[in-house]
Amino acid sequence: MQWSSAQLQGCIVASPDGRVDEATAEAFTEHLVSSVTLAADCAGKKLIVDLAGLDYMSSRGLRALTLAKRQADAAGVAMALARPNEVMREILAISRYDKLFAVTDTIETAI
Amino acid sequence: MLVRFWGTRGSLPVAATATIVQDKVAQALLAASGRSFADLDEARSFARNELDFATSGTFGGATTCVEIEAGDPAAGDPFIICDMGSGLRGFGLDAMRRCSEGHARTYHFFMSHLHWDHIMGFPFFVPAFDPNAHIVIHSGHEDAETALRRQQEEISFPVSFDWLRARIEFVTLKPGETYRIGAVQVEVMEQHHSHSSFGYRFTDASGKVAVFSTDSEHKLEKMEGEADVAHFFREADLVICDTMYSLADSVSMKEDWGHSSNIVAIDLCHGGRAKRLALFHHEPVYSDADIARMHAESMRYEELTREHDPLEVLCAYDGLEVQL
Repeated sequence: MQWSSAQLQGCIVASPDGRVDEATAEAFTEHLVSSVTLAADCAGKKLIVDLAGLDYMSSRGLRALTLAKRQADAAGVAMALARPNEVMREILAISRYDKLFAVTDTIETAI
Repeated sequence: MLVRFWGTRGSLPVAATATIVQDKVAQALLAASGRSFADLDEARSFARNELDFATSGTFGGATTCVEIEAGDPAAGDPFIICDMGSGLRGFGLDAMRRCSEGHARTYHFFMSHLHWDHIMGFPFFVPAFDPNAHIVIHSGHEDAETALRRQQEEISFPVSFDWLRARIEFVTLKPGETYRIGAVQVEVMEQHHSHSSFGYRFTDASGKVAVFSTDSEHKLEKMEGEADVAHFFREADLVICDTMYSLADSVSMKEDWGHSSNIVAIDLCHGGRAKRLALFHHEPVYSDADIARMHAESMRYEELTREHDPLEVLCAYDGLEVQL
C-alpha cells in the first residue's frame, strides 16, 4: 500500500493507494495516526482521507478509521472520507460506516 | 457431522406478532397473484420454492442452542449441545423421542457462558427429569453450577435444581487444552465478553470441524490478537459466529456490549480459510426482513473481499440443519 499526503486550503488530504487488508492494516493505521497529528497543526484542523486510490478495505482498515477518528476528536480535528470507488462505497454502506463518517464525492466538498 | 440449530436469537427470545404474520400472508397472496393451488401440498411447495425466506418462513426467536451430532448415535454416541438458551426446550423434547428409539441418554453440554439467554432453557429441559439420564455440563467457567442452581431458586422458579432426577455433573475446561469427549475432539478458546465467554472447536473422527463462537467481541484495541481467532477457525467446515450488530454499531453505541459483526466474522473466516460461516445470535429487534437483508449484505461483502476460495455464508435459523 502506498501513501501520500498534501495540504490543501489548511486541511490535510491523505491518499492511500492499493488495498487495506490484514497485511497492510498496520501501515494504514500508522499513516492515519501521523495524518491526524499533521492535521491538528494545520489551520483548517481537518483530515480528509481520499479513498480514490483504494481498491477495497477490510474490517481492519475500517476499524483503524474509527481509532483515528477518536484521536482526531480528542485533538479537535474533523475527519471526512472522500471519493470512494464503487466497491468502497458498498463496503461503507454494508458496514454502516457511512453513518459514522461524512462521505463525499469530491475533495472540494469535504473541505 | 450434522449441526442442528434449535435457537439462534441473541439476548432475548422473541415471537412473531399477529401483525407480522398477517403481513407475511398478505405478501404471499400478492406474490401468488391470483394463482390457485390444487391442494395444501401444492400451496406449500409454492411457499417453499417461490417465496423469499423472510416471507414464507422465519429465522425464529429462540435463544442460543445448537446440537452437534457426531459419530454414530445408533452405536451409543452421546448428545452434544452448545448452550442452554430457550431453544433447549425443543431439543429436549426431540431428544426424549430419540431416546425412546434407543439413543443413549448421555448429554454433553458446552457452555459459551452463563448469561441468562444462554441458560434459560435448562429449567424446561425435560431430560433433566429422566432418572436414567446423565448430563455433563462442560464450561470454561468454574461457576457454571452456581449459575444453574441460582436460576432455579424459589424466587425465580418453582422447581429446585435438587429436584432434578438426572445424574448431573459439572466439568471445567481450560483454554488451550484438547479434550476427547463423546465422538469429538474439543478445543477451547477464551473470548472477550462480560464475565468472559468461551468458543469451542469440535472435530469428529472423519476430520469434519464445527466451531461455536458466540458472544465474543473483537476489540478495536486488540486487533493484533485476531490472528489467534482466525487460527481457531482454521479450515473449519462450519463456523457459527456471533454477528449481532453492524460493524459501525459494534464500535460506537454498542461498543463493550460483548458482540461482534458480520463484517469481522467474515474477515476472521477468510483469515482462517474456513469453508462456511453461519451468521448467528441475531439481534432481537431485527425483523425477518432485516436479518435477510443482513445476510444478503454479508454474502456481498464476502464476495467483495474474497482473496482465496469462496466462503459460503449461511444465515442460521431455528430448525436449520447443516450436514458437514
